[in-house]
Amino acid sequence: MNAFDVVVIGAGNGGLTAAAKLAQKGLNVLLLERHNVPGGCATSFCRGRFEFEVALHQLSGLGTAEKPGLLRMELEQLGVLQDLEFVEISDLYHVAASDGFRITLKTDRAETIAVLQDKFPHQKDAIQRYFDLMARYANDMISTFIFRDPEASRDKYPCLYKYALQNSKAILDEFFSDPLLKTILSLYSGYLGVPPTRLAFAYLAMLFFQYMEFKPYHLKGGSQALSNAILNKFLSDGGTARFNCGAKKIIVDKGQINAVVTDDDDEITTNYIVSNVSPVATYNHLIDPAQVPAATSVEIKGRNLSTSAFTLFIGFDCEPDQLDITETTNFLISTTDISDGIRDRMNRPDIQDDFMLLSCYDISDPEFSPPGTCQANVVTLKYGEPWLRIPPRRYHDVKFRCAESMLKRVEEIYPRVRDHIEEIEVATPLTHMRSLGHPFGAIYGYETLTKDSLFFQPGRYSPIQGLFFAGGWTGDQGFEPTLRSGISAAKSIIRRLGAE
Amino acid sequence: MRKGIWQEFDGYQDIVEEIKVSRKLGGTVSSAMVSAEEYIRQLHPDRLELCVSDIITETPSTKTLRLVSKDNYLPPFMAGQYIALYLEIAGIRTSRPYSISSQPNQVGYYDITVRRVENGLVSNYLLDVVKRGDTLISSGPAGNFYFNPLLHKKTMVCIAGGSGITPFMSMIREIIECALDRLVYLFYGNQTIDDVIFGAELNRISKRFDHIHYIPVIEEPSRKYEGACGFISRDVMREVLENIEDKSFFICGPQGLYDFCLPQIQEMGVPGRKIKQEMYGAPPNIWQYPGWPHEVHQDDVFTVNIKNGKQLTAKAGEPLLVALEKNGVVVPSLCRSGDCSMCRLKILSGKVFQPAGVPVRKSDKKYGYVHSCVSYPLENLEILIQ
Ligand SMILES: Cc1cc2nc3c(=O)[nH]c(=O)nc-3n(C[C@H](O)[C@H](O)[C@H](O)COP(=O)(O)OP(=O)(O)OC[C@H]3O[C@@H](n4cnc5c(N)ncnc54)[C@H](O)[C@@H]3O)c2cc1C
Ligand SMILES: Cc1cc2nc3c(=O)[nH]c(=O)nc-3n(C[C@H](O)[C@H](O)[C@H](O)COP(=O)(O)OP(=O)(O)OC[C@H]3O[C@@H](n4cnc5c(N)ncnc54)[C@H](O)[C@@H]3O)c2cc1C
Ligand code: FES
Repeated sequence: MNAFDVVVIGAGNGGLTAAAKLAQKGLNVLLLERHNVPGGCATSFCRGRFEFEVALHQLSGLGTAEKPGLLRMELEQLGVLQDLEFVEISDLYHVAASDGFRITLKTDRAETIAVLQDKFPHQKDAIQRYFDLMARYANDMISTFIFRDPEASRDKYPCLYKYALQNSKAILDEFFSDPLLKTILSLYSGYLGVPPTRLAFAYLAMLFFQYMEFKPYHLKGGSQALSNAILNKFLSDGGTARFNCGAKKIIVDKGQINAVVTDDDDEITTNYIVSNVSPVATYNHLIDPAQVPAATSVEIKGRNLSTSAFTLFIGFDCEPDQLDITETTNFLISTTDISDGIRDRMNRPDIQDDFMLLSCYDISDPEFSPPGTCQANVVTLKYGEPWLRIPPRRYHDVKFRCAESMLKRVEEIYPRVRDHIEEIEVATPLTHMRSLGHPFGAIYGYETLTKDSLFFQPGRYSPIQGLFFAGGWTGDQGFEPTLRSGISAAKSIIRRLGAE
Repeated sequence: MRKGIWQEFDGYQDIVEEIKVSRKLGGTVSSAMVSAEEYIRQLHPDRLELCVSDIITETPSTKTLRLVSKDNYLPPFMAGQYIALYLEIAGIRTSRPYSISSQPNQVGYYDITVRRVENGLVSNYLLDVVKRGDTLISSGPAGNFYFNPLLHKKTMVCIAGGSGITPFMSMIREIIECALDRLVYLFYGNQTIDDVIFGAELNRISKRFDHIHYIPVIEEPSRKYEGACGFISRDVMREVLENIEDKSFFICGPQGLYDFCLPQIQEMGVPGRKIKQEMYGAPPNIWQYPGWPHEVHQDDVFTVNIKNGKQLTAKAGEPLLVALEKNGVVVPSLCRSGDCSMCRLKILSGKVFQPAGVPVRKSDKKYGYVHSCVSYPLENLEILIQ
C-alpha cells in the first residue's frame, strides 16, 4: 500500500500540526522525517543529568482557559491540549547591561509602564504615549485581520495605516531620545531575527502586545513534549510516520503533485504534499527544476534568508539563586546600538557586543532540571553564511572561541557561573544547517523584512497543484505561527478534498 | 478582511519597488543555492568509507587498525571522540563504537585500537578476519568525551582501564605534538603487565615530557614488577596528586572501573562536575544491576512483535537492539551505551528494564520511548519502529 491522501515532509512544528490535523479529519497521511525524533527546532537533547531545550524561550498566543489565545484554541481542537502542561512566565523580560543597569519588564501593562517611567523619568510622557500607540495599533490590527472588518479604512484605523509598514527604529526615534530606553523596547526584534531598522512596526508592536495580553509560557518537558504530543495524536488517529527517512524527490506531472520518493527509494503515490522543508530546498532539490514555474524561481531568488543562531546550553550544579539568576528571560546587552550595526555583528563569526538572550527555565519551573541543578540557554543571532567560510579544520577552534567570548559576557552579569558548570554544549549556525537542512541554517525561514512579510509573499501556496507549505518559511516565525501554519495548510487541503 | 487592504498603507509603494529591485538583483537566497551540504559533509559525514591500510599488533589481545579514507578525506575530530563501525558479520548487520586512538592534528588516517572481548562478535572479527586492504564503513566522529576548553582545567587526571586507554592516547599524542599547555596524570589499570596497551610509547613520552605523568597500575603484577599494584584507588592517586584543586578528571574503561574508581574519586572530595566519564557500552550482567526484577531470569525468552513488521524472540539478559539485529531488523545505532538516543524506539505494550540514569528525554519517557541498546525485555513486547 504505497499510496496516501497526503504526504507531509518534515516533522517540525508546521509539519506536525499539518499531519495531525489531516489525520484527525480521517485522511490517510504519511509523515516523513529525516531525523529520528520529531520537532525540528522544537526538540531537546540530553547531556549527563540535563535535558537541554533547543529553541523555545517564550511561547506566545496561548492565554488562559478563560481568555484563550489563538494557539490554545487550535491545540484544543487538535486534541493535544490535555496532554500538555504549560508554565506561565511571570515577566516579559529582564534586561542586564554590562555597566550594571538592570530592569525587569512585567507582563502587566501598567506595571511595565511604571517601571520604565521610574528608570527613565525624563521620558515619562513618551513612554505612556508609546504604550498607548501599541495598544491602539494592536486593536486596529485585530479588527481588520482577525475580525476582518469589511469596512476597514484609513479613517477608521489610522494607526494601522500610518505605522504598519514603518520600520520599528523610526518609530522608537520618533518617541524617544534615550538610547538605552530605545534598546530596551526593541529587544523583542531579536525574536523575529531582524534589526529594528528593518523590522516593520507591525511585528514589534504585535509581539509586545501579545505577550502582555496572553502572557509568555513555557512547557513542562520543553518543546519536545509538544512535538511528542502532536506526533502521538497523529499516530493514534491512524497516521503513519517514518523517521530516519527523508524525502528525496517530489514527482510533478503537468503541474500536479504525483508522488514522493523517499531516501530509501520508496515511491509513494499522492496528490497532496505539505512541505515543512524550505521552499528553497523544495523547489531546487526535491522538484525537478523543469517543473518549477519561472515566476516562482524569480520570487525565491529575490528573498533573503533569516539568521541562524549561536547557542550555549549550560547545566549548572546549583540552583539559580546561587548564580544570582532571578528571572526566566534575560537580555544581556553591552551596547545601545540598534542601528544596522546589529546586522554587521550578526554577520561576524565572533561574539563581542551582540545582544544575547539567557533563559533559565528553572525559575518558572523548578522541576525543569534535576533537584539542586539548573540550566541556561544563551542564544545570539548569527547569519549562517560567514560560517561556511571557516575551513572545516578550524571549525572547532572558532566554535570554542565564540563560546568563550559568550561565556565571558555571561560572567560579566552573573560572575559565579564559571564555578558551577557541569555540562556545556555549543550549537553554531552549522549545527542548525545540519539538523534542520535549511539553507544557511536559517531558523526563521525567510527574513522578516517588510518586503518579505505575509502581505507581499505567497505564504503556503504554490503554483504546483497539490503542494502546500507549512512552517517558518510560509510567513511569520516562531512557535505559535509555525504551529498554526500547519493547521492552515491542512485546512486548505481538507477543503479541496471535501473531507470537512 | 478587505482584500489587499495593506496596499493602502503608508509606504506600500516603496516596498513594491524594493521587491522589484530584489527580484532583479537577487536576495541572499541566490547565494545559498550553492548548497551548504558539501561543507556539512566535510564536518559531519553520514558515512565514511574506510580502507584498512595497516594492522599493528599492540599486545597479544589487541591490534590497532589504521584506517584511511577511500576518497582521501577524513573529517576533523576532537581527541577522545569515536567512530562507529557498521558491519555485517555472519548475516548480522550491526555496529560498534571505537574511540580514535590517533591524534587529531593529522587526519591522514584514523587509528582504532581493538582489544579482544571473549565471545565478542565484532572484536573477534576485527582481530581475526579483517586484513589489510579491506573496506570498513563507519559513522563520522562522534561523542562528547573530549577536553572542553570552556569547562576543563588544564591539569587533567586521566583514569583508564584496559582498552579505555584509546581516547587518552589520542589526547596525549595531540598534547605533545601540538605543544598544548596541559598537564596530564594518566592512571592506567590493567590485569597483568602483558595487557598494557601502548606501554612502551607511554613510558617514552613520560620520560621525555615533564607535563605527562604515566602511572600504570597492575592488578596481578609479576614478582619483579615495581609499580603501583591493585586497583586505581584513592591512595594510589593521592600518592601522585598533591591536591585535587584545579584539576579535571576523565575516566574511561569497562564497567568495573567506574564501579570502583568513581566512589574513590568522590571520596577524595572531587565534585561531580569535575568528573567526565566516557560510556563504554551496555553494562554486562544486567541482571545483577540494581532494580532488576528478581523474578525475571536472564535466560527467560519473550516474544517481540514489531508493529506492521515481524515477530521475534528476545532474551531478558540481552539488549533489545541486539535481539533485533540478530533477527535481521536494523535499528540505527551509534554509541550503543544509551547516550545518543539514536536507537530510540517506542514500546507499545509490555515492560523493559532500562538502568537508572540512562538519559532519555522526559517526554520520551511519557510516550514509551526507550533507548533499545540498553533496554532489556521483561515481558512480551509490542514495539513501534518508525
Ligand atoms: C536556537 C533557536 C531559538 C529559537 N527561539 C525561539 C523562541 O524563543 N520563540 C519562538 O517562538 N521561536 C523560536 N525559534 C524558532 C522556532 O523554533 C522555529 O521557527 C520553528 O520551530 C520552526 O518550525 P518549522 O515548522 O518551520 O520546522 P523546522 O523546525 O524548521 O523543521 C523542519 C523539519 O523538516 C525536516 N526536513 C528537512 N528536510 C527534509 C527532507 N528532505 N525530508 C524529510 N524531512 C526533512 C527537518 O529535519 C526538520 O525536522 C528558535 C529556533 C532556534 C533554532
Ligand atoms: C564510546 C565507546 C568507545 C569504545 N572504544 C573502544 C576501543 O577503543 N577499543 C576497544 O577495544 N573497544 C572499544 N569499545 C567497546 C567496543 O565498542 C565493543 O563493545 C567491544 O569491541 C566488544 O564488541 P564485540 O562485538 O566484540 O562484543 P559483543 O558481541 O558486543 O559482546 C560483548 C560482551 O557481551 C557478551 N555477550 C555477547 N552476546 C551476548 C548475549 N546474547 N547475552 C549475554 N551476553 C552476551 C559477550 O560475551 C561479551 O562479553 C568502545 C565502546 C564505546 C561505547
Ligand atoms: S545507540 Fe546511542 S543510545 Fe542507543
